[in-house]
Formats: sequence, structure tokens, C-alpha cells
Amino acid sequence: MSEATLTPEDFRPAPATHAAQTLSRPSLSYWQDAWIRLKANRRALISLYIVMGLAAFTLLGPLVWDVDPAAQDVDQISKPPGADRSATVVEPYSAWDPSLQNGDGHGLRLAAPATNQTVRLVWDPDPHAAGYLIYRNIFPIGPENAFGLPLGETFSPNHTYFEDLLDLAPRRYYYTVVSLDAFGDRIGHETLEAEVKRVITADDAVVRGLADSPDALSVGDKVTLGLHPLGTDNLGRDMLARLMHGARVSLFIGICAPVIFMLFGVIYGSAAGFLAGNADQLLMRFADFVVALPFLLFMILFKILFDVGAGESGILPMLLAMVLLSWPGTARLVRGQILQIREEGYIGASRLLGAKTNYLILRHMIPNTLGVILVTLTFAVPSAIFTEAFLSFIGMGVVPPTPSWGSMCNEGIKTMLTTPHELIFPALFISITVLAFNLLGDGLRDALDARMRSMD
Amino acid sequence: MSSARTPDQTFDRFAGRQLLILALAGIAGITLLMVLLGWASSLTGASAGANVAVDPVTKTITLHMSTEPPQLNSSLATDMLSGMVLGHVMEGLLRYDQNSELAPGVAERWHIDGNGATFWLRKDALWSDGQPVTAHDFVFAWRLALDPENASQYAFILHPIKNAEAITRGELPVDALGVEASGDHTLRVELERPIAYFDKLVAFPTYYPIREDFYQQTNPRYGAESDTLLYNGAFMLTRWVHGAHLRLEKNPQYWNHEQIQINVLDFPYITTDPNAALNLFKDNKIAQTGLAAENLYEAMERRWQIQRFMDGSVFFVEFNFRDDRATKNLHLRKAIQLATDPAELVYKVTKLPGYLPGESIFPVWLKGVNGFFRQEYPAPAPTMDLDAAREHLAQAKRELGEIPALVLLTGDNPLSSLQSEYFQQVLRKNLGLDVRIDKQIFKQRLAKMTSGDFDMVMAGWGPDYDDPLTFGDLFASWNPNNRGMYANAELDANVEIAKTSLDPKTRMDAFGEIQRILIEDAAVLPNYERGSTFVVNPAMKGMVRRAVGLDPDYTYAYIDEP
Repeated sequence: MSEATLTPEDFRPAPATHAAQTLSRPSLSYWQDAWIRLKANRRALISLYIVMGLAAFTLLGPLVWDVDPAAQDVDQISKPPGADRSATVVEPYSAWDPSLQNGDGHGLRLAAPATNQTVRLVWDPDPHAAGYLIYRNIFPIGPENAFGLPLGETFSPNHTYFEDLLDLAPRRYYYTVVSLDAFGDRIGHETLEAEVKRVITADDAVVRGLADSPDALSVGDKVTLGLHPLGTDNLGRDMLARLMHGARVSLFIGICAPVIFMLFGVIYGSAAGFLAGNADQLLMRFADFVVALPFLLFMILFKILFDVGAGESGILPMLLAMVLLSWPGTARLVRGQILQIREEGYIGASRLLGAKTNYLILRHMIPNTLGVILVTLTFAVPSAIFTEAFLSFIGMGVVPPTPSWGSMCNEGIKTMLTTPHELIFPALFISITVLAFNLLGDGLRDALDARMRSMD
Repeated sequence: MSSARTPDQTFDRFAGRQLLILALAGIAGITLLMVLLGWASSLTGASAGANVAVDPVTKTITLHMSTEPPQLNSSLATDMLSGMVLGHVMEGLLRYDQNSELAPGVAERWHIDGNGATFWLRKDALWSDGQPVTAHDFVFAWRLALDPENASQYAFILHPIKNAEAITRGELPVDALGVEASGDHTLRVELERPIAYFDKLVAFPTYYPIREDFYQQTNPRYGAESDTLLYNGAFMLTRWVHGAHLRLEKNPQYWNHEQIQINVLDFPYITTDPNAALNLFKDNKIAQTGLAAENLYEAMERRWQIQRFMDGSVFFVEFNFRDDRATKNLHLRKAIQLATDPAELVYKVTKLPGYLPGESIFPVWLKGVNGFFRQEYPAPAPTMDLDAAREHLAQAKRELGEIPALVLLTGDNPLSSLQSEYFQQVLRKNLGLDVRIDKQIFKQRLAKMTSGDFDMVMAGWGPDYDDPLTFGDLFASWNPNNRGMYANAELDANVEIAKTSLDPKTRMDAFGEIQRILIEDAAVLPNYERGSTFVVNPAMKGMVRRAVGLDPDYTYAYIDEP
């Protein structure tokens, strides 16, 4: 054991160095830190890009793709994307005189080339027949003798012609003429294959802007019909234009309604939380009361209250009903946060230093709840979009011809099996939007959580 | 110890086993629940799981209904479904046969002259409790329908009988009605004025008999349950579970029961969803179902025999002629008429086989003097002419000033939505008119039509009896179904001629005039004549479809296993 010898040297202050106080990294505010963490979250970042892309799609899209979403192209109804669009120019439609134009040859035959304007059938009279039934099929006739769609009938043995105008598409059809005897029994049938060509008249081409004047086109020329990148719906309306305009309604409701009701909820909740006691009890019981009100009923009541007449948009009552009935959730959340924060030590310290109520609320309480508020907002957006889609789906929202994603789904679902693109595109947009906002909200929650700050 | 696991891995393995056990237990639980539910439903007996569409052993045909009939009191029935059920369980003086021609029903023979009609009732016509059907039962039923206390909506169909109209208005007592039973088996009818189609009227449900003692005994429950209705038709309603099941069995008391080959017509499915009905048909649970446009592809793919049938009704756009409405203006209506094309609507938009583009409110199947009315009196249907339409519109704007947004009242089914959106865009594109679509359920639409809360309305009309008058008097100024309050003295005069004249030529001329006036005045825009496409189980034969009278009619059906 040896005695340490202390010299006065040992009691001299150490030389002042600044090393301990030098920041190894640049100083980061709460928001910068959150942003860094958000950037590290790949899912959230992709979602953010998708949300930005949607905004561009909605706001800039119609400028690039300047097509009237209400315009109906009845020659291209329910066309999937990428359908063939070439058409041959023909003479305008003229009534058919079967005694003059009856095709050459015998048996069931075409009196004129089959086009999507008209298919003219002629056949030989059957001496035993009292009338004929005319069928059309898109599948070859098999041994079952299922002839397909019954197009029409004639009631005389010598009425041996039929003109098919019904929804002709450029494809192969199988026409069958069945002879009936006087009792209505089938006594024979004959089938004809016909390849229908898409045609257009010169005048029509001009109306559709495919040519400058009818003289510029002569019969037999090829033209290409208007482009519909995502196909058309059941009235021949452009899906892409409708999706863009539909996004306006969906995103308007999806963003406006949450922003307004969150704003109200924050004010209401922070007032309740800050006042505490009896005032808090009173305010929160009222919020409980509002929670119990049925949304759909109020939506209908507002529609009547605002005298929303026939065929007028129900968007405003929808917005109002959402704002008036959705705020209590936010209010509760914010109140809880405020109640917690007001008991924190730094609030007491701030109070001791003489901080005013306003300062306490604005400087300490609201910023500390902002993370929660922001996260709730991003979760409220998809739910509002979904509500709008649902209401338009059941016919309570937008009115025709205004599209919205929900109403487009409603129209598309009827033809889900035959023309699925009418349902898939709007449904895809709803799904992607809702998913993107949800993932973004998820990422924001992680990024804004102050307790996770030290974990990186 | 190469196989040593970290604690995490063992936990995973353990958790996996636990999950598997839970999943298996869940599946077993659900299976057990389903077995239990199946057993429970077999106890209640309401399940129709074992039924097949056509059963040749029990001679049962299973079918579905879109909704159940509201009630089955024939003097109050208005809808098609009540008419369908009543047509099978009741019989009037006359009925329609397999070829849809008038045939003797309860009346063995009949004679109709200028001022009256006599019906001789068959003696073997019995009620289902074995008592004979007498002339008194008809007198009672007709008085009942006309009694203002009952407020039957179809009272008007009895109005050709002497004093009938005055009785509905409450001006005369019900026993002043010009009908009397002379003896049990002769019914004498006095007519208000000679009419040419009285024999066709008496096949209508409102003319069916009701037995007084049974009615008084069950009233006000008459026709509300299967046991508060007395039957005199080919079938009896033996089971009626409201909202779920109707069962019709062959009536052994029916005078012609030997000709009826089907023992049971079962309706265990009540659904408005056409896809649900289609699935039932696919599963061989029902013997017949209609096809919507979107089902046609599948029907072709499955190689079904698709049939088509014109149900006889005409659909059109009616205008509102009340003073405060822009549509009162002739030039505006003319502009709309010339700017629209029903052929495009039918061939490109609705795309249903069996629909005919509308040219007139008189459908093509109506009989004229010798042949078909529409062949003898072709409709002067205007062709689409945009230049002329815009001239009329300019004229209308000079008279009215700016045209306000027009309200188009329409139904809430997919087809009406499609049509109204098409119509909206056509008027916007061709004339720059702003149209607002007002979609309403049937009842609400009817209420709005009656109160005149519309500019244009998509409406339709099905025939009540086989005479052009059933369409011809629709726009008479006094007709309550003339919802737009169209009033034209010349048309009214022609309706009067058609109602009173007995000469076919004079009457058809009058209908020709009515057709011309309605088109020239653009009072109504015909859209289409409705057809329907349907599929039938190949083993069921003899089902009759008709535009006027009982439809679909299974009375003459039989089972023929291929």
C-alpha cells in the first residue's frame, strides 16, 4: 500500500477543450428527424410517391388527356383496352330492299358483306314452312343445336330475309335460320358463318374528328377509331377520362372531409382536455352522443334539408354529414393526449416560468399531439374515400353523368363476367389509393413517434 | 449437438403445431355447425334442398318468383304476379287456350250483342270445397270490385257494364249494376253502350268470381292466406309461407281436371335478383328463368336453348303538359323528338334481343281490321334530323327564353339507369339541353308521376285486354294514367269513337288518327317494345307465354323426359 502523492499540479483545471460539446451530427429538429426515418421506410416512401402520383393524375391528368368523360361512343361500347380500332369507310346506311339486293347463290347467304352496321341474310323458301326463326351465336353450333340468341321471326313461308342490327361487333357469328311448320315445330335449320367487319361512314368519321371533311375519305379507306387507353364503359364512355374525373370527387371528399373534421376535433378535444373537470365531462358526453348518430340517416336528412332536388349532386350533404359526425374520434384522441401532457413536468416548469395559457397550448400541447393528429388524418383519408365510394355505389352520392370511382364500380359490377375491365380499373384505383394512404399513415406513425427517436 | 435449436426456433415449431391444432379444431367446428344447421333446417321442412326443377315421378315443376303477390283477392289485384297466381287458381267466364285464343271457362257458351251479353255457365264448374260456381258469384265479385268502399284500382275495367262508373263514383248503390243472375247458371249483363271487346274483358282477373258466403266469413282476410281463398281454377294454393314459399296443387274439383297433367307447381324461391335465379336454374332447381343482357354470353357458352318472347308492353318517354313546364312547348318536344333515335337505343345501348325500336304507342302485335294494326296503319315515325331539331329548339327558345334544366324521372333498375344516362347525353350533345336524372323506386316514381313532379318520365304500359283501346285511351284527357295531363280535343274525340263504335274499320281509323296525333304533336316518344329472353328446362313442355292474359301459363304444361 503506497501513499499517493498529490501535487498542486493535480488540482489545476484541465485545459479547456470543446471536444465534448462538439456535435458529431448536424442538429436535427423533430420534423427533420421524422423525415429521415420516413425516408428509411421503403413502403411509406413508395406510398408517398403513389399519393403524389394520384394528385398529379387528378389535377394534371385531364390537361394531358383532354376527353369529355360524358361523351358516348356508341360504336365502341364496353371495349376492353387494346381492342382493334381499325374501320373501313362505307356508304351511309340505307334501307334494304330484299327483292333487289338478295345475294347470289342458294341456301342461307349474305345479301351484302357483313359489317357492324348491318348483316343482311337471305335464304331459300322452304315449301313446308309456315315461318322462320333467326338465331345468332358466337360459338359454333354443336350437336346440342343450341343456336344462341333468338333475333327475330317471320310469319310467312316467303318472308325469307332478315336484317340483323343488334349490337354487331367485329367478330365471327354463326347465324341459323330454323323453319317452323304451322304448329310451330322445328322442321329444319341451316347455319351460316359470317365474319363481321367494322365499318364507319365518312360523315360519322368527320363527326368523330377522324377526318377533316367527308370528301377526304372515299369508300374502302381505312380509318382508326378514337383511342381509349383503358377501354370504354357500358355507354361507350372513355374509362381513363372517367377515372380522372372520378378521382376528383373521391379525393375531394377524401381530403376535405378529414381535414375539416380533424380541425374541429382538435379544437374541441384540446378545449375539453385543457379545461378538464366538469366542462370536460360535459363536452365529452356530447361527443359520445354524436358518435351514436347514424351516418346514413343524417346523410338523407341533409339531402332533404338542403333541398337537393332530383338529379343534383349529393356531394355537399355527404361532406357535411361526414364532418358533423366524424369529429368525436379525433376529439377523444386529442383530449386524452392533452390530459396526459398537461401533467408533464415540463408544462409545470413552463408554468413556473410564467407561461400564459395560449403559449402553453400553442407551444407545448398542440405540437406534442401533432404526430397523433397527422397519423389519424392519413388513416381518415382512405376511410373517407371508401365512404364516398360506398355511397356512390348505392346511389346516394354523385349523379350521372358525373363519375366517381364508387359509381363506376357500381356500373361495372353488372358486367363483371363479360367485360371485367369496367369493374377492375375503378376497383384497382380505390384499392391502391386506400392502401397507399394506409401505408403512408403507418410509416408516419413510426416516423413521428418521439420515443423511437433514440432507436436509430 | 449439431441439431441444437435456438429457443426462437423451438418456439416457432411449437407455435406452428399449436396453430395447426387450432385450425383443425376450427374446421371441425364449422363442419359440425353445418351438419347441425342442415339437420335443424330439415326439421322445419321449409327447405327445398332436395327438389329438382322437373320431377317426372311426382309431376312437380319447381319455379321461382321475383316477389310474392301482395294479396290474392281478385277484385283488388293489380300487379302481374297476383295475376299470374290467380290465373292458375281461378277461372273466369272465359279463358285463353294453348294458342292464346279465347276459350270457354266457367261459361260453356256466350252471346254478346249490342247492348248486353249472356253467359251460360257449365253445371260441372265447382269451387274447391265442392259447391257449384254460380252466376251469383260473378254478380257478387263485380259489385265488390266496383264498391267505392273497396277502392279497387282496376274498377275501371268493369266500366263498360251499365251504371258501373256511377257506382265507383258513389252516385248509385252497388245493386244498380247492370248484371243479374237468372237462375244459378245464366248470367245476363247489360252494357253501358255497345262495345266490341267485352268477351276479351271477362277473361281479366277483376272479372273472376268470388263466393259471397266465403268472402263474408273470411273478410277482411280474404285472399291473404292460402286457407282464406276459395279456388275454382286448375290449381289450388295449398301452402303460402309469406315471403318464402307458394305451392300450387292440382284442383281435383276443377271441371277440366283430366286435362291438367301437372300435379304440383312449386314456388319455393322468392328472389328479385336475376343472378340468383340464374344460379338456381344452373343447379337444376328451377325450370325456367329470364336472362338479363349480361347473362346472354354465359347462356350461349352453356349451349342453352334461348327463347324469346314479346311481353306486349310498350315503353316511352312522356312529357309533362302542366302550365309551368317547359315541355308544354310544342317546339321543344319536337326538337327532342327529332334529336333522338330509338333504333340506336335498342340496337347499341340496351342490346337485348327481342326488343323492337319504338315507333308508336300501339305495339306491332295488335290486330287491326284484317291483319295487324301496324301493317294497316303504319306509324308516321319521324326520322332523326338534327338540323330540323335545332330549328325547333331555336323556335322554342324564342318562345320560352332560356330552357331550364329538364328533370327526367326514371326507375331505379339498371336498364332504366342505362337508358336515362344515354338519353341525357344525347340531348346534351345534340341540343345542348341540360337533363337531370331523378331515379326513384317504383312507388315513389308513381307518386311523382301522379303529382306531376317531372318534365319527362320514362314510363311503360302493358296491355290489359286484347284490343288497341288498352293503349289508345292512355292519353285521353280524362284518363288517370295520363300523368302528363296531355289534353287534345281531337284525340279525345277519336278515343270516344273507338270506345263506342262497333264497326272495326271505323274503330281502327280512329286508332290510326290517335297514332298520328300523338306523333305529330310529339306528345310521347316511344322507346321500345319490350321483349324478354328466357331459358326453360328441356323436360318441361307446354308452357304458354302471351302478351295479354295469364303469363307465363303452366296450366297446359307437361313433363317429357328426353
